[in-house]
Amino acid sequence: MAGNNTEDVEGSATTDVKSTANAEIPPEFLIKHPLQNTWSLWFYDNDRNKTWEENLIELTTFDTVEDFWRLYHHIKLPSELRQGHDYAVFKQGIRPMWEDDANKMGGRWLINLEKKQRNSDLDRFWLDVVLLLIGENFDHAEEICGAVVNIRQKFDKIGIWTADASKQHGTLEIGRKLKDQLGIHGKIGFQVHRDTMVKHSSQTKNLYSV
Amino acid sequence: MSASPIARQTTVSQAIPTRRVLITDPAQMPDVYSSTPGGTVYSTTPGGTRIIYEKSFLMSLSKSPISQTPPKCALPAAMMKNPGSGPVLQTSGQKNRSNSISFDESQETFSMDL
Repeated sequence: MAGNNTEDVEGSATTDVKSTANAEIPPEFLIKHPLQNTWSLWFYDNDRNKTWEENLIELTTFDTVEDFWRLYHHIKLPSELRQGHDYAVFKQGIRPMWEDDANKMGGRWLINLEKKQRNSDLDRFWLDVVLLLIGENFDHAEEICGAVVNIRQKFDKIGIWTADASKQHGTLEIGRKLKDQLGIHGKIGFQVHRDTMVKHSSQTKNLYSV
Repeated sequence: MSASPIARQTTVSQAIPTRRVLITDPAQMPDVYSSTPGGTVYSTTPGGTRIIYEKSFLMSLSKSPISQTPPKCALPAAMMKNPGSGPVLQTSGQKNRSNSISFDESQETFSMDL
């Protein structure tokens, strides 16, 4: 699509002076494309000498498509991270923790990945999830808080966090779209943060599933 | 709110980029209202408030020269693809604000020969 030289570039009326350097560059490549939201990239370091909260670092924010890619191209893929590490992408101002005001009534759609899926699906799922988020592809995008990927010994996990678990209609729409866009065949479940707080996530029952 | 991201970054005015996509068959039309032929370039919801990008368009922008430049923020070595290719986060817990301006700002507003 972009980069295709057969496309016509309009607007030549105002550009009598042709810049030869820009002649072959598609117009989309000349500007940065603003995102609806400003997003924060978080990294969880898993240093045993630190508390959980100290390990969670907000690295930077981005609010254009290009600034997202600049980060993406220069950081490791989830599958290249060490065991115990997390990435999180959240709307700016929301911390990736249950206690945050924006999360405490919420929950998450949880995608559990088997060990063998680390090589086949993990990186693709994570990128697809982040693109769905920053591209505002959900009808109920205002319900989205962010997404987390956990690299773990047993199951890698991707969680898509939403603001209000009681909003069944919006939550289900997000779950169905996720499943559809990622091409997941099995069921995925939605867990309420309040339940995950008291029980291990593998024992938490799903409020919804699609 | 300050100026839009584009307004903040652009120091040189440019024509609004447009692209002409030739449709030869109704089947080439997108099947969703929010999309334009050739992919969603820039669309908003009927309320006019939301900026939506489709995956295919986001993916095409990943090849943009701007998208290839290293991020300005410092990152922990543990998460960098090639440690040494950009600034490394030294002291943990230190937050770094994003400074994503990539255009030349060193040009002076005006200069005068005396």
